[in-house]
Amino acid sequence: MVALKEEEIVGLAEFAVEFALKNGANEAEAFAYEGLTTIVAIERGQITKSSRIVDRGLGVRIVTNKAVGFSYSNILTDKKTVEESVLKALKSAKASKPDKDWQGFPNRKPFPTTKDTFDETVCELSPEDLVKIASTMLEACEKTDKRVFPVEGGVGASYLTRAVVNSNGVAGFDYGTVVECSLAAVAQEGGEVTPVCFEFNAERLYRIDPEWVGFEAARQAASALKAKRVETKNMKIVLAHYALQQLLYYTLMDAVKADYVQRNQSALQGKIGEKVASEILTIYDNGLLDGGLRTWKFDGEGVPQQKTSIIEKGVLRGYLYDNYAARKEGKESTGNAFRPGYLSTPRIEATNFHIMPGKSSPEELIGEIEEGLLVYSVQGAHSSNPVSGEFSVVATPAWKIEKGKIVHAVKGAMLAGNIFNLLKNISALANNQRKVWQLVAPWVLVENVKVIGK
Amino acid sequence: MLKDTLSSLIDLAVQKFGAAYAEARAQKLNKTMLTVKEEKVEAAKEGIENGVAIRVLVNGAWGFASVGSFDTRVLADAVSHACRMAKAASLKLKSPIKLSESKAIEDRVLARPKKNPAEISVENKIKTLLVFARNVLGHDERIKSCTIDYLDLIGTSYFMNSEGTYIEQDKLYVWSRILATAKEGDIYTFSREEVGSTAGYEVFDVETPEVVGERVAKRAMDQLKAKPPKGGTFPVVLGPNVVGVFVHEAFGHLAEADLTLSGSVLIDKLGKKVASEVVTIYDDGTIEGAFGSFKYDDEGVPAQKTLLVKDGVVVGLMHNKETAEKFNTQPTGNARAEDFRVEPIIRMRNTFMAPRDHSFEELIEDIKFGYYFKSFRGGQANLDGTFQVGIQEGYEIVKGEISVPVCNASISGNTLETLNKVDAIGKDFELWPGRCGKGQTAFVCDGGPHVRVLEVLVGGSA
Repeated sequence: MVALKEEEIVGLAEFAVEFALKNGANEAEAFAYEGLTTIVAIERGQITKSSRIVDRGLGVRIVTNKAVGFSYSNILTDKKTVEESVLKALKSAKASKPDKDWQGFPNRKPFPTTKDTFDETVCELSPEDLVKIASTMLEACEKTDKRVFPVEGGVGASYLTRAVVNSNGVAGFDYGTVVECSLAAVAQEGGEVTPVCFEFNAERLYRIDPEWVGFEAARQAASALKAKRVETKNMKIVLAHYALQQLLYYTLMDAVKADYVQRNQSALQGKIGEKVASEILTIYDNGLLDGGLRTWKFDGEGVPQQKTSIIEKGVLRGYLYDNYAARKEGKESTGNAFRPGYLSTPRIEATNFHIMPGKSSPEELIGEIEEGLLVYSVQGAHSSNPVSGEFSVVATPAWKIEKGKIVHAVKGAMLAGNIFNLLKNISALANNQRKVWQLVAPWVLVENVKVIGK
Repeated sequence: MLKDTLSSLIDLAVQKFGAAYAEARAQKLNKTMLTVKEEKVEAAKEGIENGVAIRVLVNGAWGFASVGSFDTRVLADAVSHACRMAKAASLKLKSPIKLSESKAIEDRVLARPKKNPAEISVENKIKTLLVFARNVLGHDERIKSCTIDYLDLIGTSYFMNSEGTYIEQDKLYVWSRILATAKEGDIYTFSREEVGSTAGYEVFDVETPEVVGERVAKRAMDQLKAKPPKGGTFPVVLGPNVVGVFVHEAFGHLAEADLTLSGSVLIDKLGKKVASEVVTIYDDGTIEGAFGSFKYDDEGVPAQKTLLVKDGVVVGLMHNKETAEKFNTQPTGNARAEDFRVEPIIRMRNTFMAPRDHSFEELIEDIKFGYYFKSFRGGQANLDGTFQVGIQEGYEIVKGEISVPVCNASISGNTLETLNKVDAIGKDFELWPGRCGKGQTAFVCDGGPHVRVLEVLVGGSA
């Protein structure tokens, strides 16, 4: 199947909204999505498979008497399937219960321009091209260290389009590309197996560096060998990009969602204007970041994406809103209604959660540490208490730092604490920011974290 | 006829493109999803997901294509895509993929629910969820929020491969998750329960809104007075719910043959003793109505009860057709695909530790100081055998008795070391529904009896 054209995809969404209004909907919205993805996969040291996945569909949200119904279909062959979908959503709305807080779909606003979100080259990548990229990554991994085994990985290229139309006059179309490569590797020596070391590079433009990913996965795995246990005590830790993303995703990123705040599920409730983090910490949610993995002109319900101040110099400045949560407080949406596709109604999510970098190099950050850990990834972040922010995770892979130098890999060390205390104890930020899905951040140095070694 | 269409696709792959193996998997699926927050219905959602997946083995490499369409021309195009993808993937192949052969099966598997979710109105489903919400919120005014998600998934999958197998199999899943939070002063607690079944809507006759609501709410309340556990190594007793997630996460993933081959710590352990001799572990796809059960997997292989560990010795792994060939054994019916969009991979079904003979009192009576971990919040494992299980409900054990509740604990260690420290196993047994993520989501059950572990690392902040 070839990609739908702008007028085709917007046309289907417009038709759905018109048909809904004609059939008794008070309000209607249609979200159309199409993704064309080509993947080459690596399994156990070799390229073994390639896939092409075409996924398209239309989700219709309908309101009658303040009750919301939703229906989707992935069969977009003709207008008849769209009509069926609309009738289903109408039926769902009638079966549902009125929501007194429902105050309508968003109104039409001009869309901003975005930069570096589409690259024709990515669309033109053939499976053979992707095999070449995957081989480059594999070869870089294998030549770095003989003890390293690339377990799995792959290269993927996607072309994505989205359209939103609603009965308030919103009509938007946007398209973009994503290209990524990733590799997970372990090292083995004398009966010892290291934890899986994962590295990846995802970009909107064709600017990935498969050689670096291969090298880096191998370097991490090889240096994770000869791991030792550490003492149980409080110490400094450096959270590298991926570890930071894992910890924040299940805690802070939920706590700043307006619906969590409104429903008494956020430890940051009522704390706007208060100091909630170290004064060196500034965070924006930037839905318009150049080349950001979550950068789009508009969000999942057609509200322009924007740059929203979350924490400035340690002071809490704002929460993330969709249209529903915003109108409940008489505010404007911040453009954070997230939809991963056509399969569901929007929910509040961060776009590009951007922690402003500092000035030190990563080496300088480590150089100042008398005793601590460098943590690349944590295991079990999803079992954090999402409301209170308590976490208890395994740091793996991680390395011990002594007198400013990395001295050995660490085995089985746990980190326990509360994310909101951790934010207050951040004492330095490195200058090495990068994109890890919705997080854009540098390495951070945190004081006084409880490390449980044995 | 869908069967004829699939048959022509298989022929095309084999005859025109020279596929050594080809399979076509079609899906017709209806989903109903509901979300209730406090006592408000967020939206009633219904959807259709129809489509076809083509998987071929050409020149020793896999090619895969999926499309949301039953149009014969679109599908023929997908076959040609899949074969081209396989040829591209084979360019740098070092060792070609081979598959274990299976004998041809023809079958039609019908779902036979006592209460078919398709015949229950959305209004009635909403009514049930609102009773859930009222039971949770009405428990105590300190319960501040309650989120209930509901999903039912009903449809049929059509499987055909070039070995002559054709299976039409009904799919039926009913699932719900109930979350509650409580707040008192600056203390926030969080509690979760899941209900899941492949039998039918009758699951709510057992897991009623009253029973489950009470469980969720009471835990959120008890946790308000819980204290953080100490960090360090302690003796613990794990409840069936935690044993289940431990067996699944810490051991099960290592015994998925694709991950075993990737270098999991089990790679050289087949036939060897890895656990204390009281430990026996199964992965069973045949338990009637359980959330991880089905008759045939997504490679057309019958599900079975697979013995993984017998009296402490690793005796089996979970296989698909590819890994079975590598290990010179038979596939175990563990190849599962979340939907038509993705390819089948090795997944668990209902994974559990077998019960023995101790009473709960016997398990805790000799522990001077330790912890009883009753219910988990999440778990994760690594190929090197490092596991982590987060705990949502736990208690101190003091002088052989259950004492005060503890909050936000987690346990960690090395799987094999920990399995060797299991020294006593209870005679009770529970199986809990859950969802497992391995790139795709699979519905599973995990469980076992109460189990005592002589020492495990507890990640506590006190």
